[in-house]
Amino acid sequence: MNAFDSLMGGFANALQPMTLMYGFIGCFVGTLVGVLPGIGPALTIALLLPLTYHVPATGMFVMFAGIYYGAAYGGSTTSILLNTPGESASVVTALEGNKMARRGRAGPALATAAIGSFVAGTIGTLALTFVAPWVVEAALAFGPAEYFSLMILSLVAVSAVLGNSVLRGIASLTAGLLFGLVGLDLQTGQPRFTFGQTELLDGIEVTIAAVGLFAVGEALYLAWQGKETKAGEVMKVTGSLWLSAQDWSRSWKAWLRGALFGFPIGAMPAGGAELPTLLSYYTEKKLSKHPEEFGHGAIEGVAGPEAANNAAAAGVLMPLLTLGIPTSATAAIMLSAFQGYGIQTGPTLFSQQGSLVWTLIASLYIGNVILLVLNLPLVGLWVKLLKIPPPWLYAGIIIISTAGVYGAGNSVFNVGLLYVFGLIGFAMRRFDFPAAPLIVGLILAPMAEQSMRQALTISMGEWSTFVTRPLSASLMAISVILLIAPPLVRRWQQKRVATA
Amino acid sequence: MTPFRLALCLLALGLVGAWQVTLIPESPIQMPVGPILTPAVVVGVLLVIALLYGLSAWRGRQLDAVLGDDGQPLPGANRRMLMLLGGGAAFVLLAVPLGFVIPATLCGMGVARAFDEPLGWRSALVCGTIALLFWILFAQVLGVGLGPAVAWPL
Repeated sequence: MNAFDSLMGGFANALQPMTLMYGFIGCFVGTLVGVLPGIGPALTIALLLPLTYHVPATGMFVMFAGIYYGAAYGGSTTSILLNTPGESASVVTALEGNKMARRGRAGPALATAAIGSFVAGTIGTLALTFVAPWVVEAALAFGPAEYFSLMILSLVAVSAVLGNSVLRGIASLTAGLLFGLVGLDLQTGQPRFTFGQTELLDGIEVTIAAVGLFAVGEALYLAWQGKETKAGEVMKVTGSLWLSAQDWSRSWKAWLRGALFGFPIGAMPAGGAELPTLLSYYTEKKLSKHPEEFGHGAIEGVAGPEAANNAAAAGVLMPLLTLGIPTSATAAIMLSAFQGYGIQTGPTLFSQQGSLVWTLIASLYIGNVILLVLNLPLVGLWVKLLKIPPPWLYAGIIIISTAGVYGAGNSVFNVGLLYVFGLIGFAMRRFDFPAAPLIVGLILAPMAEQSMRQALTISMGEWSTFVTRPLSASLMAISVILLIAPPLVRRWQQKRVATA
Repeated sequence: MTPFRLALCLLALGLVGAWQVTLIPESPIQMPVGPILTPAVVVGVLLVIALLYGLSAWRGRQLDAVLGDDGQPLPGANRRMLMLLGGGAAFVLLAVPLGFVIPATLCGMGVARAFDEPLGWRSALVCGTIALLFWILFAQVLGVGLGPAVAWPL
């Protein structure tokens, strides 16, 4: 059955009323969390994980995908109207978007962000539809040694490429690996790092770590600073929400270029959405016929990055579904959700759960349409939400975080652990340690260890299996390069500047 | 807290991890790699990273938000943090005996106080409403196990 036929089957499921309803809820909640600073899609999906016991898998994943895409759309609203990105990939949108709003062009800024998100999201989903089956074919050649090497590549890429410091990235990653090893060893049943606590025998839930780092940690940091006592200045939505002919002509190429940046980079380990949005911004600045407008409200500076952001969201789903490798914190939590349903992601997902996967992909197309319809007419509602005073906003965030973690296991021990991770998150925020490596390390540690031990069992204890198998050796070589290249390049650049 | 002290905390974490590794029982099953190797390697890497980070921090090369664009926190930083953590502690201690709503209200009030909202009837009302709404949404509508809204210990 080719991809097109499978996709049509997916549409047939995705257009069922219940599935559509979950998609709509996901898009609405996603836009909401994208709009509200302090909550992101990773945290939201983590908080909704307890629902996996009550909601069928298809509906749940359609909702999660809606949240993921919706957050990408919603983040642009706060960037443009409040100069405060709702999520990290919308940082670049704030550069030009808020300037446009200050010039009385908030409407066109919001419109180009929404339409660009729709165009690029659709392109990204099309790429996912037709590239994913090829990746699955290639991944069927992967054995445990290749999977272990691929996970090492992901772990190195997430820690060495993201953030400002390889050392801090690896520190965060190592802490995540350590936390991921807490609990019973899967092969022998031996307890590890449990301190004799029965609550730790099942390990540390990724929900607790994610919610602790992103919600409690962020709230602790802002409370520590003491500067978030009043809601920020929210710009009025001025200017028409319909784009003029000139705005269209300046935006459409930026949307396409943004999509070309977003999808492949989003699909790579540690690609994420931040890097493509930055690349898109600088490209648009270089190519623009109005470079003097950059820094003062250039529409291309909103169109390109927002398109890149949404295309990257589709890209991130590709390694998650085809290889079972999460390349961002949100993807790691979605993987945890799959595990909660007993579903193994990776190449066998398409054959064993084809209906679920293609329904999910079809719902992404539908979600893009829903989001385009939701975002522009409801912008007035989103603006009202931005005026919630920080004390109530963060009280609500922490109460819902506490409720989510408490509800998942009915355990106050977990709530205590939540606040411990909150303190860790505060320290990470304060001392500039990236959080994503910790989350990815937490979830990949047991998987990587399993793959390594399986590979060694197959090779009768020969460690050379990881470098003698060609694919595994290539992945290991790329990992080594990614580890040593950034500091070497930085040192070389510093020497160049010193001698210049 | 400074980057150097954070390095000491990382080192302490690594040392506790090393102690725990020594407590992992040997596997009775014969296999190329047992349950001890991976934890030992991870702890070893953590100790090395902690030392490198400590050295770098001692040389003043590590970041602290206090010295960055955000600048020094406003006076009362520790008090605000303790308020927020106090709210969490209230929930942990009282959720089992008192149900969900009252501890969640106290938790919310602690958070609001951390953002300079005075403790008072307004804070109690807003946080209580949020807690009750979330209990209704999570426990009643979505079926998540949050326990009773209110419970009396007697």
